[in-house]
Amino acid sequence: MYEREKRLAKSYIEGKISRRGMLRGMASMGVTAATAGVLVNAAATQALAQNGFDWKKHAGTTVKLLLNQHPYADAMIANIENFKELTGMEVEYDIFPEDVYFDKVTAALSSGSSEYDAFMTGAYMTWTYGPAGWIDDLNEYIGDSEKTNPDYDWDDMLQGVRDSCAWNGQPGGALGSADAKQWCIPWGYEQNNLTYNSRMFQEAGLSIPTNLDELVATAGEANSKLDGVYGIGVRGSRSWATIHPGFLSAYANFGQKDLNVGDDGKLSAAMNTDVSRAMHEKWVQMIQESGAPDWATHTWYQAGTDLGAGKSAMIFDADILGYFMNGGENAEAGNLSFAPFAANPDADAPTPNIWIWSLAMASASKQKDAAWYFMQWASGPEHGLFGATEMDFVNPVRKSVWADAGFTSRLDSSYPGYVEMHDLSAPGAKIHFTAQPLFFDLTTEWAATLQKMVANEVPVDEGLDQLAQSVDRQLKEAGLG
Amino acid sequence: MQSVSTLERVLRGIAITVIILFFMFPILWIFLMSFQTNETILRVPPSIFFEPTLVNYKALISGRLEGSTATLEIAFMSNLYNSLFLSVTSVTVGLLLGVPAAYAFARLKFRGSEDIAFTLLSFRFAPPLLVLLPLTIYFQQIGLADTYVGLIWVYQLIVLPLILWIVRGYFEDIPADIEYAYRIAGHGFWATFRRIALPLAGPGIAAAGLLAFIFAWNNFIFALVLASADKQPVTVGALAFITASGINYGQIAAGIILSIAPTFALALYAQRYLVEGLSLGAVKG
Amino acid sequence: MTTATAGDPPKRTFKISKRYLPYLLSLPALLTCIGILIPFFTAVAYSLQRYRLSQPWAREYNWGANYLNFLSDPSFWNTLKVSLTYAFLTVGIELLLGLGIALLLQKRTRFNNFVSIMLLMPLMTAPALASLMWKLMTNPGFGILSYFAELLGIEDMRWASDPSTAMLTVVIVDVWVYTPFIMILLLAGLRSLPRQPFEAAELDGVPRLFVFWRITLPMLTPFLLTATLFRVIESIQQFDIIYAMTQGGPGDTLTVFQVEAYLNFFQSTNVGRSAALLMILWAITYFLSSVFIKNWLRLRERARGEA
Repeated sequence: MYEREKRLAKSYIEGKISRRGMLRGMASMGVTAATAGVLVNAAATQALAQNGFDWKKHAGTTVKLLLNQHPYADAMIANIENFKELTGMEVEYDIFPEDVYFDKVTAALSSGSSEYDAFMTGAYMTWTYGPAGWIDDLNEYIGDSEKTNPDYDWDDMLQGVRDSCAWNGQPGGALGSADAKQWCIPWGYEQNNLTYNSRMFQEAGLSIPTNLDELVATAGEANSKLDGVYGIGVRGSRSWATIHPGFLSAYANFGQKDLNVGDDGKLSAAMNTDVSRAMHEKWVQMIQESGAPDWATHTWYQAGTDLGAGKSAMIFDADILGYFMNGGENAEAGNLSFAPFAANPDADAPTPNIWIWSLAMASASKQKDAAWYFMQWASGPEHGLFGATEMDFVNPVRKSVWADAGFTSRLDSSYPGYVEMHDLSAPGAKIHFTAQPLFFDLTTEWAATLQKMVANEVPVDEGLDQLAQSVDRQLKEAGLG
Repeated sequence: MQSVSTLERVLRGIAITVIILFFMFPILWIFLMSFQTNETILRVPPSIFFEPTLVNYKALISGRLEGSTATLEIAFMSNLYNSLFLSVTSVTVGLLLGVPAAYAFARLKFRGSEDIAFTLLSFRFAPPLLVLLPLTIYFQQIGLADTYVGLIWVYQLIVLPLILWIVRGYFEDIPADIEYAYRIAGHGFWATFRRIALPLAGPGIAAAGLLAFIFAWNNFIFALVLASADKQPVTVGALAFITASGINYGQIAAGIILSIAPTFALALYAQRYLVEGLSLGAVKG
Repeated sequence: MTTATAGDPPKRTFKISKRYLPYLLSLPALLTCIGILIPFFTAVAYSLQRYRLSQPWAREYNWGANYLNFLSDPSFWNTLKVSLTYAFLTVGIELLLGLGIALLLQKRTRFNNFVSIMLLMPLMTAPALASLMWKLMTNPGFGILSYFAELLGIEDMRWASDPSTAMLTVVIVDVWVYTPFIMILLLAGLRSLPRQPFEAAELDGVPRLFVFWRITLPMLTPFLLTATLFRVIESIQQFDIIYAMTQGGPGDTLTVFQVEAYLNFFQSTNVGRSAALLMILWAITYFLSSVFIKNWLRLRERARGEA
């Protein structure tokens, strides 16, 4: 089956024909673009099979994955046959909805279950999983030429992203330090920048804000000029997820930190500085004046849904949230544009805090080597390129994919400003939190404090002092402060 | 006298209408949403005029969700089946275990009966979260993790206390002399239990079974924590409609409607039985 | 009433039957549940430990320290207050409303029967999903309820997003979901009451309000207690609705026990604190339930004595 098509794909890979020529040829054979993509990747996979690595070492082994329901997982599943063919392995997977995904992961890992060999995770979660002894340091695999194929090209990963997944396990230890353990492999990531509705911006004669003051003003203007539209969507629910996207990106841009790390390694609250106070005040004012009326219950999907439905003029949130809202059946599909955003007028460039969907290996797994075969394929350059060009595997974490003209031109055509925004922000893009085991306690409380400030239950300065006090107390209680 | 009763009828009518409005409006609204896509659901202001579409139901039943960029596989129908299977078996087991016990507590006062009854009820006190972590660890060790048997066992925590206490009340309300007379006529204990007590407590058992079914149906956390993806109920499955490309309200609504339907059908079916049986008072009077 | 004298003989007869019979009948149920005791005691042990999954090296028995910390922890007292308020409000409203509806539907007509089943629908909607829908219906832009509120002249109603209306909103959802539960239990109770006393009262021309207070309500009390008991247990342990609607926010307005314990466990993986919180919740539930049950048993005895 597909023999003629495969030959066509092969000649494309070998550079004998152009992509367009290949696609036209495919189309004449009745093959759709997505299927063509899989076939092209089949050819790429065949090339991979020739690289001298013993791909068939674990043939016949079945690995089981725990996956979040996400386009990344979809892209992987679409391409999984190629992996099976390459290695002779079987892959099973359980997919859970994002709302409950991490509960499932925590339950599975804490019970010591060996059911899942590898799973999707965020980098923050590894600050719990790593010290808890649930996941393995992947440096042992990456550096082992017996286990990792020569074309894996670990250095192709974006530095900030790669480092953000590496931590030495010391509370307050710098991410990506020399003694850091690679708790997970970045798979796809999100920068937090502006996605704005260019139709509305034009209508109301707004220009793209370039710092926090302008953002507050622009959001206010959009709020008053546009009927039935609020100015800006940011998350607001009582959750760590409210702190990590736009908010922390802006916060970090002012050079502010969540925690101080003392010389003795002790941690203490750092959010009650004057600069932080001023930033908090503007942020709170922005939400009060032009945020969503139901901001306090907004998670990522409400922020996204409102933008897609034309209820908000812009969001300061994950770039890929804007990406997804610009397509599908969303009312505003095609109207969205993207812009990098540096909150601090004195900053040279944006410093987006990032979310990284990554792959981690369960320590309880009984077939780690086989699981690593899957992980290196799934995070390898071939699948990355396939996912980015044929599926919604954005944002890629590999430089080689960003350098691919097919990928960037596809983005440029339907997502104006996206590539530029990414490239401008990428150098400053990393996790700006301090890695430590109380991450979720402290950020949840931070979000609750923001909610109180927005509801005028507590003034900003007082709220920050209370927060800092409480954070210090909790750090002490946990033996970290 | 006449005017009072007219006034009362009017007031009663108004009260019933208001109650039906409050309780049924959200259901009606969900029902309407299930025939729409986000395009019309997310309109300002909301409106009841729209062109109905069956895409949500089609997607749920065929298991394929045509998304913006990719086709998403969804397992809603198997979630529905899991819910049905888990609820039916749990309630059946709960009734088999609970009804005889309830009868014992109601009729046969024995040493420690109240203590045992209270202990049984007290399993309901334990917040599910409290036992979940240890439970997952123990289930892992004894091989019950990710099995239907294990789940049905844990579900007994929800259904058994409910069945026990409701059915017990009904048994106690049946005048004992009917059973007594039957026993005097030379019938054994089991025959009395089966032929007299059970039928008389029928409505209670049906009501308790139905309620237990609903609570089992609505459970969320047990299956999520204890079982893999192929054993998840609708409560977990329906969350799959919150996708990266937006939350599919229409599909969630259709999911809710599909998940209410079996329970509602069961209730409607049991209604006749409930209503006939509820003439229990006549026996007593 | 004919039942009056018949209370005792059957008991005697049954006592003659094999002594182990009652145990035979009740033990399977007990054994099924007793397996849960092991994890329960494990959880008790957790609650006495300093135990964070993310700091396994620091795990140790600190005995009562988790509990002692609560005494000086304002967020704990807030949790206690919020949980009790929530339970009191929801159960109170649901009892009144449920009783009212049951009384309205008391007569056995086809219409009433159908309505009573129809009203069960909210209960059949899993609270976790129902809350998603309520969240949409109360959305300030797209929400139909916000639209209605606006028509009624309530501008800028923010429902669950505003600290002053958040409790009200989740209580409304809880009332919507769980009133039918109380209604159906009470309806069954009302319809199973003996007719005689009511017929007699009607013949004597006793005012209906008097009949309600002096006959209906006392006879219905055991049913009321059962319904209340189950609702109180559930309500004080509420999680699905509150978490789905607000995650405990805004601020700390709705951080009830299970939401706190859930966040402590699943996000912070602070198992010790989570278990201690839940143990206190368990103790409260245990206390309330035993009070209810003692009264329930007493009322039962009395009803039997009077009958």
